[in-house]
Amino acid sequence: MLQFSLLEQIALAVFLLSGVSFFLYHLLLRLKIVLKGKSDFTVNDLPKRILRVFNEVILHKKVASGNRKSAGVLHAFVMYGFIFFGLITVNHFGMAFGLPIFNESIRHTYFLFVGAPWAILCSIGILGLAYRRFVTKPEALGKFSSTSALVSVFIVTLMTTYFIDELHILSGAAEKVNWWIHSGVIGGFLFLIPQSKHMHLVLSPFNIFLRPSEVPNHGAIPIDLEASEEELDNLLLDLSRLSKDQALDIFTCVECGRCTDVCPANRGGGILDPKYHFILDLKNPMLESGDVNVVDKINVEAGWECTTCQACTEVCPVGNHVEKADEIRSFQVLAEGDVPQEYQKLLRNLQETGNTEGASSSAILDELPAYTSDKELVLWLGCFAKHAMDPNFINSIRNFVKILDSAGVSYGVLSNEQCSGDPANKLGDKLTYQLLMDQNVEQLNKVKNVTSMCPHCVVNLQKEYKKYHEIKYEVKHHTQVISELLAEGRIDINPGSLEKVTYHDPCNLSRTLDEVSAPRNAIKAAAPEFFELDENGKETLCCGAGGALWWKKDGGEGRTHLLRAEQVIESKTDTVVTGCNFCYGMMNQGIGPLTPADQEPIKVKDVADIVAENLS
Amino acid sequence: MILVVLENQRGSIHPFSIEAVAAGQRFASELNCNLGIVCMGEKVDELKSQAQNFKSSQLIIAKNPMIDMYSADGYSKVLSNIINELSPKYVLMGHSYMVRDFLPRVSAKLDIPFVSDIISVDFNNGSPLYSKQIFNAKLATSIELSSDQALLSFQSAAFSSDDIENGSPETEIEFDVQISDQDIRSESEPEFQESSSGVDLTAAELIVSVGRGIESEDNLPLMQSLAESMGAEVASSRPVVDMGWLPAYRQVGSSGQVVSPKLYFSVGISGAIQHVVGMKGSKNILAINKDEDAPIFEIADYAVIGDLMEIVPKLTEEINNSK
Amino acid sequence: MKIAVLTKAIPSYESSIRVDSSGRWIDESVVNYVVNESDSYALEEALQIKENIGIETEVVVVTLGSEANTSKVIKDGLAKGADRGIFIKNDSVTTDPLSIAKLFSEHLKSENFDLVLSGLQSDDMGAGQTGVLIGEMLNMSTATLAIETQAQPDKIKVKRELESGWFQWVSLPLPASISIQSGINEPRYPSLKGIMGAKRKELNTYDGSPENQSQNFVNLYVPKNEKVTEKIEGDTDTIVSKIMDVLKNKLKVI
Repeated sequence: MLQFSLLEQIALAVFLLSGVSFFLYHLLLRLKIVLKGKSDFTVNDLPKRILRVFNEVILHKKVASGNRKSAGVLHAFVMYGFIFFGLITVNHFGMAFGLPIFNESIRHTYFLFVGAPWAILCSIGILGLAYRRFVTKPEALGKFSSTSALVSVFIVTLMTTYFIDELHILSGAAEKVNWWIHSGVIGGFLFLIPQSKHMHLVLSPFNIFLRPSEVPNHGAIPIDLEASEEELDNLLLDLSRLSKDQALDIFTCVECGRCTDVCPANRGGGILDPKYHFILDLKNPMLESGDVNVVDKINVEAGWECTTCQACTEVCPVGNHVEKADEIRSFQVLAEGDVPQEYQKLLRNLQETGNTEGASSSAILDELPAYTSDKELVLWLGCFAKHAMDPNFINSIRNFVKILDSAGVSYGVLSNEQCSGDPANKLGDKLTYQLLMDQNVEQLNKVKNVTSMCPHCVVNLQKEYKKYHEIKYEVKHHTQVISELLAEGRIDINPGSLEKVTYHDPCNLSRTLDEVSAPRNAIKAAAPEFFELDENGKETLCCGAGGALWWKKDGGEGRTHLLRAEQVIESKTDTVVTGCNFCYGMMNQGIGPLTPADQEPIKVKDVADIVAENLS
Repeated sequence: MILVVLENQRGSIHPFSIEAVAAGQRFASELNCNLGIVCMGEKVDELKSQAQNFKSSQLIIAKNPMIDMYSADGYSKVLSNIINELSPKYVLMGHSYMVRDFLPRVSAKLDIPFVSDIISVDFNNGSPLYSKQIFNAKLATSIELSSDQALLSFQSAAFSSDDIENGSPETEIEFDVQISDQDIRSESEPEFQESSSGVDLTAAELIVSVGRGIESEDNLPLMQSLAESMGAEVASSRPVVDMGWLPAYRQVGSSGQVVSPKLYFSVGISGAIQHVVGMKGSKNILAINKDEDAPIFEIADYAVIGDLMEIVPKLTEEINNSK
Repeated sequence: MKIAVLTKAIPSYESSIRVDSSGRWIDESVVNYVVNESDSYALEEALQIKENIGIETEVVVVTLGSEANTSKVIKDGLAKGADRGIFIKNDSVTTDPLSIAKLFSEHLKSENFDLVLSGLQSDDMGAGQTGVLIGEMLNMSTATLAIETQAQPDKIKVKRELESGWFQWVSLPLPASISIQSGINEPRYPSLKGIMGAKRKELNTYDGSPENQSQNFVNLYVPKNEKVTEKIEGDTDTIVSKIMDVLKNKLKVI
């Protein structure tokens, strides 16, 4: 049993106290900044939140997923190692003050059954991760990280000194030195963690617990045109501030780079790098100013490239809401009047004609019944359908209507449907958005049930409008309506599409609206040869039209708009079905040109098409 | 009297001016007036020697070092003096950039209406009606004048230089150009050309546009040679850009440029609607495609049904030989 | 320095253009009026001159027309940063360039503008004369189709666009009237502050009644689209020679 002199105890106490103070100081400094953020943390639905922490922290469901399964498992070894070593560490320091928590036999048992196995696993874990980071060098992890190198060395040192201690390999002064090395490393952690990405140790379980359930979760920016100059100045100042959630996210970021890995803009050759542009670039500015007014530090060009598909948010293992295109774009548009030329016409069209195309009429309106209060459902068309942004989609509308007719559902189109405002909202022009939204809500609050074939419309009508108005109606995506009709037996689908069929999940539908099963219920009923694409469900790869990028003209060399079409072609499917008119348009535009000459052109269908074709 | 004013384009008569001469001869015969041709300003001697081949009543030479280089101040003052002296009923020019730059000055100076960019004339028994395109050529209008005199400029091809009666002027006079330093307030530098780093297809007069029908990136140089031989810009449909064969600024269509050149020469383009909306405003469309049902033929003026790989190289050779 | 920017409200490109019952004008009720495109470039150029010239500058957006159609033009200009607006109210259809220019000149004369900027032409009538006519009427020097400007307190240098990719720099003393070519700059979008501040800016309204127009529209009509597609077929040599004939003799492009 090691003996400690008074001097050693005092030295240890001072060392530990300074480490803990340092740690707490930096932690509290960051928390203070976080609390300056806008809006409040949401703690609704507690059971769901606790379950989420359990799944993501204990079960490592996000960390050990996708193509990072093995890295995730190695990380689990390290994390559990830390957890199980907690008691050992308390005992380690308790010993110095004559207050060990284990007696010899418990200590030895703990070593045999917990300490030793986990020390080995933890070492394997950290060495494996170090190999990955320093030898394999995946691009997502960025340049050489000295803190990671230190952490690796620290952990290996801890495990080594632990074994040396438990196995009594050293004695006398050497044994004491070994003990002090172990202590020094633990103290070293106290100094290392708060100033590095290893803060995630402390912050991530809380961040995951507090993660807003709505994805995305950008705050409303209500604009009062009669506001005084002072009120306007406050609004504009507010535009440059992050929310509490966003600030905490930034300090929690573990710099794994998965957000950048999945980002379609990045994969398409753009400059957008979510890890830096949306998260890390903002960290030092926050620490330097001691405040959260850092939106203007987001790279503007990168902000315009974002498709707002939320893949970054979905993949983040520490609970971050990564995407901040909404913030930087709102800032640029409202505060600076800086809108890329190609979008100015789009916004003017919305202001002047209430639709994205500047059109004065819509041909499809002649084919569809008008809504009257005796009808069950409002069929919300959206600009894409109304103005034939892909001329073939008109047939898909007709097919959906055929399905409704077959089920005996009565429906009609609103006489004064304005654009849902999604492009304006996504581009940050909240003023134009409000103009359209206010007009739409007035009409919609007079009805009960709404359906639309455009997930962008559904997202706005159902979720975004709620942030500004009291909403009395309910909106369902058309695939949800079809799936319900099928479940209720109001329609019957024959398995008549015998070719190979796959489904491209629209990002707005699968992630933002959390709907992956309704379309599949419908498609699988019609197509027995249905198979999944590689990146499917909530891991879907955005078609490239999101974030108002459909209207982006400046081609440049970017291939964001082609990536998913290429994946569909590679899957060698006969037919690709999708649930969003923009995805439909993108598939049509991309698949034709990119299909190699020796491959049959792939048919593009909406869920309504494949169901209508197989209605009995 | 009808006056036609010739414009210099780097030593020759501007093609629009030549068409204006045809217009002038027509006006003179319809309205039973004399035709005068004015050679003034830049390269007067060259203009004069070429103008001596046109049948006219009078050749008016206005030469002065002060107007050896074009300036709005100089030209408008001299032409105003000529008009005051000769009292023509109509003054005719082609609708060129230079005419846009100075003829309105004459209009305001003399309070004579200037009808610009005329596409056709209905002589209407001596009270001519002038047709113009308005609202992006969605409509046209006939204009009548309530004034005795007018300045007129014609859109290219409103009149044809083929219709010019050759001959010579009956008389020639040297106009006394009264102009001094104070009359010209601007200072011009010599004209220059710029190499294009980004191409503005919307300004191109001639476009050769390629589609997927060219089948391979390797065939692109053949198409570029055709364009070069015609002095045309190269454009394309979207698939060609998506495949990386051409940069995005060459794309014509709903997600690219909207163009309306004098000739849109399409090669291997099927004519999908997303492309057509970007070029249907072209004044003339010639399309080569081996599929006779290709939608592009619905809007083409000239439909060439054949193998572009055979046609294009031979056509390029013919054009180069004819130069 | 005082800069006037002439801005016109015209039917949008997507608007339905229909001849009205009189046959002499269009049915304005189905039309959506927007700012003429090249005028937006002119306004942006004026705002950039104001920002860069280093002396106190006032940018005034000037428009002429009926209140219903043009109010958005003034609002847009003020929202983007113009200091003041001048609205010449004219409810009758006026298309004669001289009449229009006289109306403008009458009200701009006393302002003594140093610079008058306008778009190279309005896309409805396309006459392209207003800026130059006003320049002459107010005894200003003029230049058209400017693709670049360099403004100084007493003079302005303008890069004129010429045909076929040629250009020319011209130096003009002030006062000058310049017409601006599209693409000269990147017009800004009005910021929220600009939009809300616009209503507090000064707007001078005058009544403008045009004198008798010397150019009159007798009628408006839809141009006949006689699109006859000429088929060119045969063996390669035949096709090539037929195309040559078209290029050389019919279209005269080679």
